[in-house]
Amino acid sequence: MFCRLKVCNFCNSLRASSFSSAEQSFTVVLGETKNEREAPGAIPVYLVHWIIAMSKRKQPDSSSPADSLSQNERILYNVIHGKQDMGIWTRDMKKETNLPDKVFNAALKTLQAKKLIQEVVNVQSKGRKHYIATEFEPSKELTGGAWYSEGKLDKDYINLVKDQFAKMIYQQKVATLEGIADAIRKTKIFKTEFTKQQTEEIVRDLVLDNRVMEVKSTGMGEFASIQIGKVCYKCKSKGGTRGETKVGAMASIPCGVCPRISQCTPDGIISPSTCVYFAKWLDF
Amino acid sequence: MPATHFGVKYAVHIITSHFGNLVAKVCENLLKRGPLTLRLLIGFTELTPQQVKNSLLILIQHNCVQPFSVDQAEGPKVTQYVALIDNILHRWRFAKFMTVVSQEFDKECELIIKDLLENGRLTLKQITEGEYAVKDTVEKSFLKLVNAHFVERCPAPEAVLEEASKDAPKKRGPKSSKIVEVPETIEQRVVAVAAPSAAMRFSILTDSETDAHGGSSSSMSTGDKRKHDALELDEFANNEVVLWRANFEEFIRCLRHKACVENVRARLDDGAALVLRAMLKSTRTAEKKVKTENSVPVSFSTIYEEVINSEAGRNLTCDRVKASLSLLCDERDVDEDESYSVDLKKILELAQNDEVESIVLKRYGRDAYKMFRLLSTSSRALETDKISDMTLVEKKETPTILYKLWNDEYLLMERLAVTGARQAQFLVWKVDRPIVWKHVLDEMFHAALNLSLRLAYEDEQIKEVQLLPAHKRTGPLGKQWQRFRNVVYVMHASQLKIDDAIMLFHDF
Ligand code: SF4
Repeated sequence: MFCRLKVCNFCNSLRASSFSSAEQSFTVVLGETKNEREAPGAIPVYLVHWIIAMSKRKQPDSSSPADSLSQNERILYNVIHGKQDMGIWTRDMKKETNLPDKVFNAALKTLQAKKLIQEVVNVQSKGRKHYIATEFEPSKELTGGAWYSEGKLDKDYINLVKDQFAKMIYQQKVATLEGIADAIRKTKIFKTEFTKQQTEEIVRDLVLDNRVMEVKSTGMGEFASIQIGKVCYKCKSKGGTRGETKVGAMASIPCGVCPRISQCTPDGIISPSTCVYFAKWLDF
Repeated sequence: MPATHFGVKYAVHIITSHFGNLVAKVCENLLKRGPLTLRLLIGFTELTPQQVKNSLLILIQHNCVQPFSVDQAEGPKVTQYVALIDNILHRWRFAKFMTVVSQEFDKECELIIKDLLENGRLTLKQITEGEYAVKDTVEKSFLKLVNAHFVERCPAPEAVLEEASKDAPKKRGPKSSKIVEVPETIEQRVVAVAAPSAAMRFSILTDSETDAHGGSSSSMSTGDKRKHDALELDEFANNEVVLWRANFEEFIRCLRHKACVENVRARLDDGAALVLRAMLKSTRTAEKKVKTENSVPVSFSTIYEEVINSEAGRNLTCDRVKASLSLLCDERDVDEDESYSVDLKKILELAQNDEVESIVLKRYGRDAYKMFRLLSTSSRALETDKISDMTLVEKKETPTILYKLWNDEYLLMERLAVTGARQAQFLVWKVDRPIVWKHVLDEMFHAALNLSLRLAYEDEQIKEVQLLPAHKRTGPLGKQWQRFRNVVYVMHASQLKIDDAIMLFHDF
């Protein structure tokens, strides 16, 4: 609750010149004011006293900047606040508030200055300015989730995590998801614990990278300790190192990976005999 | 998978380099237009009748063309000729076939196969009187080869088809080759009808017996039923003579088995590879067709016997073999009476995946590779954002990469419009295997053709140096020569490798 007091020029009584608090009490105040007709906007002294008493009781809240917003600022703030952890794009704000550009921009600035709202990077569309009320943590849709930092995919971090996961799988020879998560927890390399979903995400990425393969336990040999049929993971190569994908027949010759292959004909401008890729490849 | 646009070009190139331009012209017309009569062939090629006839004779001799006619109720029977593209492509693989023989048989067998590959079709007499033959033993070797199905009787000089059913495709070619369920092509029908009966195919009877038996298959094109517009193919139609040829099918089967074994070695381990090899070896003659999806079921004792028969398998215990079998076969691949069968199709599919994925990796980078792998295993189309989340790729970069893959026919894209409170449009993506596979196969044929053309070009460039006596190839010339030898070495190795890949997609 916030209240600025001033001595009235007319009656010398103490009056509140600007005032904001929980809306309800404000209405009550106005509704019961007889003086209202004499001096619109003025608040009788006894109410001011009451307000002061209230504000004293709720001390910690009293400095909330949200209490001191102009009407336009409040409209804007309510729109942004209403979107909760999803935030809102500036253009949508304009549409919803219907404020003239100048007013809108000023209000936006004030709200930011008062730290009521903040700009967030929306990973879906980075070009768009997106705001969210400071009260909320930006949602996963906005930030992109655990692997994003400041709206950017944190590739270094992901690679670090992946390498550690691959190492654990390699050490265990055949590992289940739980086994991997356990081993990672025990190493204490990472401050945070990975959720089940995050563990799955990283392992899936290793599988897509072809560093790790998914196998079903047969219950025999190396799978002896694992229930039959359970999905397990194995490293494809020594140490689960990166970039050891077998190069196929096509990938090892120029034409197999040639960006021009569809334009290349035996007697055309681009042809095997004039081909620069071949020249480079056969340059011993 | 049917041959593609560049498959045909490559086949024509092979025929040109083996038999020259005239024969290639005839062959090209048959490949591109489908089966033709002699008269039409003369018209299309604008060659003299004699030239066309000679070309056809060469092509038939080398098993690249099969004559046939359609049994019609009315009108005269007209002989048509159909090019057998698979057999043409096999010509590039003769060296591989020779390796197969040399690994399984003695020198004499090797020479017989060599003789047959070089000459296309031979009578037993021609074989036994061949360059290297010593009569006593050559017959034995020949017998061995026939018994092992590496040599077979030639098909009928002219196949007679039942009247073509309406739905049978008239023409083969890039357009008619619909993917997924390939209807039987006219080429396949002709080959099936022309083939000698299973009993005759590998039967060696003495000459007099052959006369009695073999007559039935070849008599249909001789005698009073001489047709108009047919070739004078007396030497092929003569039922006094039984012609033999190398059985390409058996060679391809061996190469297919080899490919499966090597893939298992890479994916699992040496033990599993040994076990699979033993399984395939012990059931090879029982396989009905080359593209067998599941290996012929075989009992554990037979497998084990075969495993310990080989030097490498001698120290494998029963338990280890059983462990390998459990890796190779799913539960459903094991019968109640404990016979094991391996899903060969799956092994080959995985190998195909590797090949395609490695192209994607090299051409489009690691993120694209991950997306492609994700989509090719996903049972349904995925939305752009979902793909980005699942592959841990930057949201902004994802559409660009997907678009590139789509543009080059590696992905299919679909727009989904969602109507509701807010209209939105989503893009979903998926890998359509048959389409991508066909596209990749076509590029492989293209690449193989290009390798061959480039090699010919390099050869042309070095002609002058090549003609010099060795001691004069010094200084810069020596360097050029050395470079050329490296080029040849690298190109040959690549040609073999790319042909392996073509077989993987086309023949296996
Ligand atoms: S010959 Fe050269 S230009 Fe043509 S497809 Fe091959 S690499 Fe590309």
